[in-house]
Amino acid sequence: MSTQVAVVLSVLLFPGGLFALTLGLALKGMDRRVAARLQGRVGPPLTQPFIDLVKLAFKRTMVPTTACEPVFLGAPLVGVVSMLTAAALVPISGLYTPEPVLGNLLVVLYLLVVPGVVLMVAGSSSSSPYGAIGFSREMVLMLAYEGPIVLVAAAVALRVGMAEGHIATFSLAEIVAYQRTHGMFLLDPVMWPAVGAFCLFFPANLGIVPFDIPEAETEVLEGPVLEYSGPALGLFKVMSALKAVVVLGLGIALFAPLDLTGAPAFLGWLAEIVVLMVLGVTAVRLSAGRMRIDQAFSFFFKWPLLLSAASVAAIALA
Amino acid sequence: MFPLEIHLDHFIGEMAVFAMTTLDPMSLAWMGAVFLLFGEIAALLSIAHPVRVLIVSTVAELGYVLIGLGVGGAAGETGAFMHIGFQLAMRGLVVFAGWMLILRVGSTRLEDLAGSGRRMPVTATLFGFGMFSVMGLSPFKGTYSKFLILYAAIEQGHWAIAAVGTVASIVAAVYYMVLIQRICFEAPARRIALRPVPKGLMAITSVLAVAAAAMSLFPAPLQTLAETLAGVVGGAGVPHFESPWSPLVLVPYIGGFALYALGRFSPRARDAGAVVLALSTFALVFASPDLDPTSRLFALVFAGIICVMVIYSIGYMAKVEWGNRYYFFTFLMTGSMLGLTTAREFGDFYVFWELMTWTSYFLVIHEQTRKALNAGLIYFLMCASGAYVMHFGILMAHAEVGSFAFSAIAQNVDAIAPGIGLAIMACLFVGFAVKAGLVPFHAWLPIAHPQAPSSASGPLSSILTKAGMLGIVKILFGVFGLGALTRFAVAGVDLRTVLLGLGCVTLLYGEIQALRQRELKRMLAYSTLAQVGEIAAILGLGTALATDAALLHVTNHALMKTLLFYAAGAFILRTGLRYIDDLAGLGRVMPFTAGVYALASVAIMGLPPFSGFISKFLMIYAAAMAGSYLVAGILLAGSVIGVVYYTRVISTLFFKPYTGQTSVGQAAVREAPASMLVAMGVLAALIVVGGIAPQFQLALVAPVGDAIAARSGLAPAVLPDLIMAWPASAALTMIGAIAVLFVGRFSVPWSGRLAVAVPVAAIVAVLAQSGRYDLLSLSFALLIAGVGALNMLHATSYLAHNHAQPRFYAVFLVMIAGLLGMTAAPDLFNFFAFWELMSAWALWAAIIHEETDEARREGFKYFLFNTVGASFLFLGVTMLAAKAGTFEFAGLKAALASLPVAVILPPIALVLLGLVMKAAMLPARIDYQMHPAAAPTPVSGYISAVLLKSGPWAILKLFVVFGGAGLFVRLGGQIGGEIGGQPAILTVISVIAGITMVYAGAMAVVQNSIKLVLIYSTVCQLGYVLLALSFGTSLGVAAGLMHFVNHMLLKDTLFLVAGAVMVRTHATLLDELGGLGKRMPITFGIFLFAGLSLSGLPPLNGFASKWMIFEAAFSSGHWLLGAAAMISSMFTLAAVLKFAHAAFMGQPTAKALDASEAPAPMLVAMGVLVVASLAVGLMPGLLLVPIAAIEAQLGLTPIAATLTGPLPGLDGWSPTILTLLMLVLGLLLVPWLRLGRSAGVVRGPAHLCGVADLSADRERLPAAELFESPNGVIKTLLLPGNPGPGKRI
Repeated sequence: MSTQVAVVLSVLLFPGGLFALTLGLALKGMDRRVAARLQGRVGPPLTQPFIDLVKLAFKRTMVPTTACEPVFLGAPLVGVVSMLTAAALVPISGLYTPEPVLGNLLVVLYLLVVPGVVLMVAGSSSSSPYGAIGFSREMVLMLAYEGPIVLVAAAVALRVGMAEGHIATFSLAEIVAYQRTHGMFLLDPVMWPAVGAFCLFFPANLGIVPFDIPEAETEVLEGPVLEYSGPALGLFKVMSALKAVVVLGLGIALFAPLDLTGAPAFLGWLAEIVVLMVLGVTAVRLSAGRMRIDQAFSFFFKWPLLLSAASVAAIALA
Repeated sequence: MFPLEIHLDHFIGEMAVFAMTTLDPMSLAWMGAVFLLFGEIAALLSIAHPVRVLIVSTVAELGYVLIGLGVGGAAGETGAFMHIGFQLAMRGLVVFAGWMLILRVGSTRLEDLAGSGRRMPVTATLFGFGMFSVMGLSPFKGTYSKFLILYAAIEQGHWAIAAVGTVASIVAAVYYMVLIQRICFEAPARRIALRPVPKGLMAITSVLAVAAAAMSLFPAPLQTLAETLAGVVGGAGVPHFESPWSPLVLVPYIGGFALYALGRFSPRARDAGAVVLALSTFALVFASPDLDPTSRLFALVFAGIICVMVIYSIGYMAKVEWGNRYYFFTFLMTGSMLGLTTAREFGDFYVFWELMTWTSYFLVIHEQTRKALNAGLIYFLMCASGAYVMHFGILMAHAEVGSFAFSAIAQNVDAIAPGIGLAIMACLFVGFAVKAGLVPFHAWLPIAHPQAPSSASGPLSSILTKAGMLGIVKILFGVFGLGALTRFAVAGVDLRTVLLGLGCVTLLYGEIQALRQRELKRMLAYSTLAQVGEIAAILGLGTALATDAALLHVTNHALMKTLLFYAAGAFILRTGLRYIDDLAGLGRVMPFTAGVYALASVAIMGLPPFSGFISKFLMIYAAAMAGSYLVAGILLAGSVIGVVYYTRVISTLFFKPYTGQTSVGQAAVREAPASMLVAMGVLAALIVVGGIAPQFQLALVAPVGDAIAARSGLAPAVLPDLIMAWPASAALTMIGAIAVLFVGRFSVPWSGRLAVAVPVAAIVAVLAQSGRYDLLSLSFALLIAGVGALNMLHATSYLAHNHAQPRFYAVFLVMIAGLLGMTAAPDLFNFFAFWELMSAWALWAAIIHEETDEARREGFKYFLFNTVGASFLFLGVTMLAAKAGTFEFAGLKAALASLPVAVILPPIALVLLGLVMKAAMLPARIDYQMHPAAAPTPVSGYISAVLLKSGPWAILKLFVVFGGAGLFVRLGGQIGGEIGGQPAILTVISVIAGITMVYAGAMAVVQNSIKLVLIYSTVCQLGYVLLALSFGTSLGVAAGLMHFVNHMLLKDTLFLVAGAVMVRTHATLLDELGGLGKRMPITFGIFLFAGLSLSGLPPLNGFASKWMIFEAAFSSGHWLLGAAAMISSMFTLAAVLKFAHAAFMGQPTAKALDASEAPAPMLVAMGVLVVASLAVGLMPGLLLVPIAAIEAQLGLTPIAATLTGPLPGLDGWSPTILTLLMLVLGLLLVPWLRLGRSAGVVRGPAHLCGVADLSADRERLPAAELFESPNGVIKTLLLPGNPGPGKRI
């Protein structure tokens, strides 16, 4: 299989594209089901997100008269594309190594910015004041968590890079390969603060409680997506589902790749994703209340930043 | 008759013998001296009673005779007898003329006699003639009996007596001048009925006048008689003072008398005659074969300026009284000044020196107002006193050497003892310094120059002060020699050092005083002081090169200052207003005059492409060559001050609204008369020629330096090649700028079209001469011209309703010309010259084009900051060339390689400082260093996108010149070591760039002004570029260069969008906008693309270069800076989205309601830029392939690059592949969006929870209310107390 074909397939089918889409929606379904069970409800079937998507596809599209229509409708499309692609950039230990031409950790990090931007542009372009507030909050949150995540990435890059003889490496393949031979970073005390910082980052990045501030239903009526309906709203749901796959997959690649190959590798990876989804997303969102945006902003300037900086300092000074 | 004479001779002889035998001769001399001094003081004290003054002063005059007889000797006795003879005739004239005045007025009191000049012009003139003659001055040769007597005293060692005589002369000058002025020139205070006088009195007076004139003209008979009386045989022992006058003196002199006579019949014939006479004099000077180089240079300047003065005067003096007298004294002054140049001995020199003062005095007081008379009095007294001191020195020199001849003194100078030598030179120096106006001898200058008619103010400032310089160069340097100057030192202080010190003090004093003036001509006079100080300081360096430089500036200052005064004179003539603030907007009604005023101002600020730049450059270079960095620094500091007050006037003339104010009646102000325009035009042309082709002036100046060097046994100067090497592209653009102005007079739209065509043609010119460039510069040059054409196209729409479009297009083109010239520079001189052309006056004029208060204020601040930055660069460049001995890049590289690090580090650090300042790095006072928002938007975009890139470009270009990586390794090895494998000096730049990047990025987020958001973001992005370049690695430089171009394309797009928005809405703040997205959809799309790309969203081109920067940072060990760069890109994102939200989304504001899509030319300009960005995004190789070649030329390992291949770096990704894949995915998903269409699209109001009565304003979330928490943090951290830029938030 030539490289070009591999690249195209990785984006269209696996692990990006269709596979990521299916996995993401399934995880969503699982999330809703588990949450319902924990709350003593029955909950929807696992396939509910798929059903929702089909339902939305045939709903009418609503566009506010004062909205900027091409941007309003185009924004979610861009978000989905970015996440479908990003999913192909995250390696699965022992199973999938992305082609270098697709991009490294830095590209993934910046692709992860795109959904946020899409939400902001969507909220802003909808001309709804709730959308505008959501836009503002999303940007504040992004400014807040960007520092920690950059330092987390730096910690990993420096850790691997220094060990491999070049100062830093952002190659996810290399990062995974290093951990396969030297043990995962989850077990490395130097990296614990960074792991902690990442754990605080991803709820914010995924926009779940306690950091679902931009879309807070009870405050700003889902903010940026308030005005969306029909297929466009469906795209937002897809984007959000895909983003969970990318962020969780990235977390696994950065800190906990399993040293397996073949089918066990795939199953192991799936298990990790599911566990992370349940523990890191479902459990968290059920057990916490929402922060205010100013609290979240100063929170990220305290703990996650300190944690990630601690890891970086420990690595750089070693 | 003979017996009588013998008898008389016998009698006087007997008297003398009697006096000498009965009295100790020295007691007699001392008695005379005391008598003289007290007599003069007594006369001065009785000034209110003219009769008493005359009596006392006549008696005091006997003191001279006593001194002469007392000290004895051939000279003393001859002098004493001659003095009696002179005084008999001249005092007689004074007495009889005065008697007539008193009789006619009927009073002896000065108050009554005052103003007699208007009542009785002839008698008063005769009286004045007599008075001046008694003082030793007249249009003819002065009396020199006094000269002889004092000489005798010095010759025989009686210094003190001579000194007393000199002081007495100074005291006498005071009351003589007061009497002359009050009686002859002052306006009468009241009417007095004149009484008749006996007819015979007039006859006697006339006879005495003729006698006095005859004695002055032909003193030989009287001298022979005196010698006979003194018993001197054949003149032995009596010094020989003068030689016959040269034709250079006689022609204007006799011509002056002829013109006076002619003028009594026909003023028009007189004017024509004056022009002919001036031109003939100039021709005569030009053809004069026997002048030494110094004299020739000064004579040409003197005669040339007089030609211009005469032409100017035709218009200026047309309606002024006393025109005949004006031309008369003008030509007498010319003759005297030329006499200085032809003088070969001190006698002549002194006579002409005095005549020069005397004749120019009449020009100062020409208008005869009280102020003018006062100024004239101070002028005359100071200069005459200086001359008396000089006179004393001359006599001492003769006593030492036994001759007045320059050649004799030059031969014997080594025999003079240091103490006496210093005294002689100090006396001469005082005379020269007073004339030149050096502090502390300057008091007259700022008073006298503005009071003269403007036609004379110019030459007074421009050439009369230069007579002092002539004295210093011709006499001190040429006759005595630099060796003597150094040898004659007391306690280690010699005159050269004094000259240098006084020069620096004068320079700073003049600049600071000029800064404080509100009256135009006074400001110019103080500026003359500063320029004279500059020249003196450089002369004081005492090298051949410094002499060349100073004299070149003498010639340039003569042209520039004359022009400035002449333009000021034209303003005064047409408006009657003398204060700077009153000149607002005159550029509109007097475009030519104001234009040449601006030209001369720019030239005198030392900016190219005018002659002032060349001489300033040479002066700074000479200072650097002499190792006097302090002097160079003071010169540069002075010019920074100069920038302040010169720009103030230009700004008032052109960039303020015209008020129509005049004080000369109701007539509308119009352009000056033709003859004045011709005079000014000639000067302006010479200034331009001097800037573009200085070789003609240098050919005049260079022999002087060589002669001075030869005289003192120094090495001759090696003049650098100071001719700006204009590449075709720059020359074309510059000519285009002039053509645009010209076409603009007929058709504004066509001038705009031409302005767009010129940079397009420049692209062709760059390509045609591609051999002149290295690849880096070639690429930059093409971008300069290309983006220039686009922004100019945009500007034609942006300024469609502006009143002075051609002016804007022209200065914009000059900026482009500067940039183009800079990229093609083959040496440091050209690099710096074009750098100044690019970043100084044209930039300033473009920025303040909108003529608002804010524009003027902010534009000025930026100009000042640029001047300071350029000054560092200036010093660095000249120091480097001085150390290396060449300006050529190739030679420089070779030379620097062999020089020790400690020698080359300071200049390199200065150069880098200048370049880093250009890129607005290190935010100390960001409100100064950032280009101002008030500029017309297309030029803001150009500055941000292109012009500021000259900093990073130059760093790379000079990196190679300085020896590439090798030199920095050497630097790093010796200074501060290496930090993380990078030399310390580069680490400093990295850190500065990193701080700026974060700081400016954060500041961009909190702005509310449309353009400040973009400008802060520019500073931030320049930080990225510089950061990457400073890593010095292959990847870092490639990343920096790629971002260099990406930012150029993207930021320019954003500015052009902002321009389109501003044109369509007339808003300046984001909060005034909203909802434009629906009204300007294409513009919005372009903004969103460029903004998001600049923020670094993959897979766009802006992300590709940022990705490389991050990689380069981490891989070179600067992970902290890398992380900072990553975080800062979030700031950019926040700023871009804030802009997008506030301007384009939501409910429209009142200002946005009627907006429509941007005009076609704007869309074309923006579209081209977007297409370029897209192309780069899809095929990064478009940039990376040339960048790899550039790196190879720079001596770095080139990155691996192909057209569509992956980015360089450890694990480079492929923008081509990623972009295509995402495009495909996007296209696949589009049908999904269409699915719902079958069910229809519903359009309705946005959901507001049922609230239906919110106004559009309430429904909108304004820009200022976005991002509250980070805003608060940023403002608290970066804007404590909200200073400067905070106010506009």
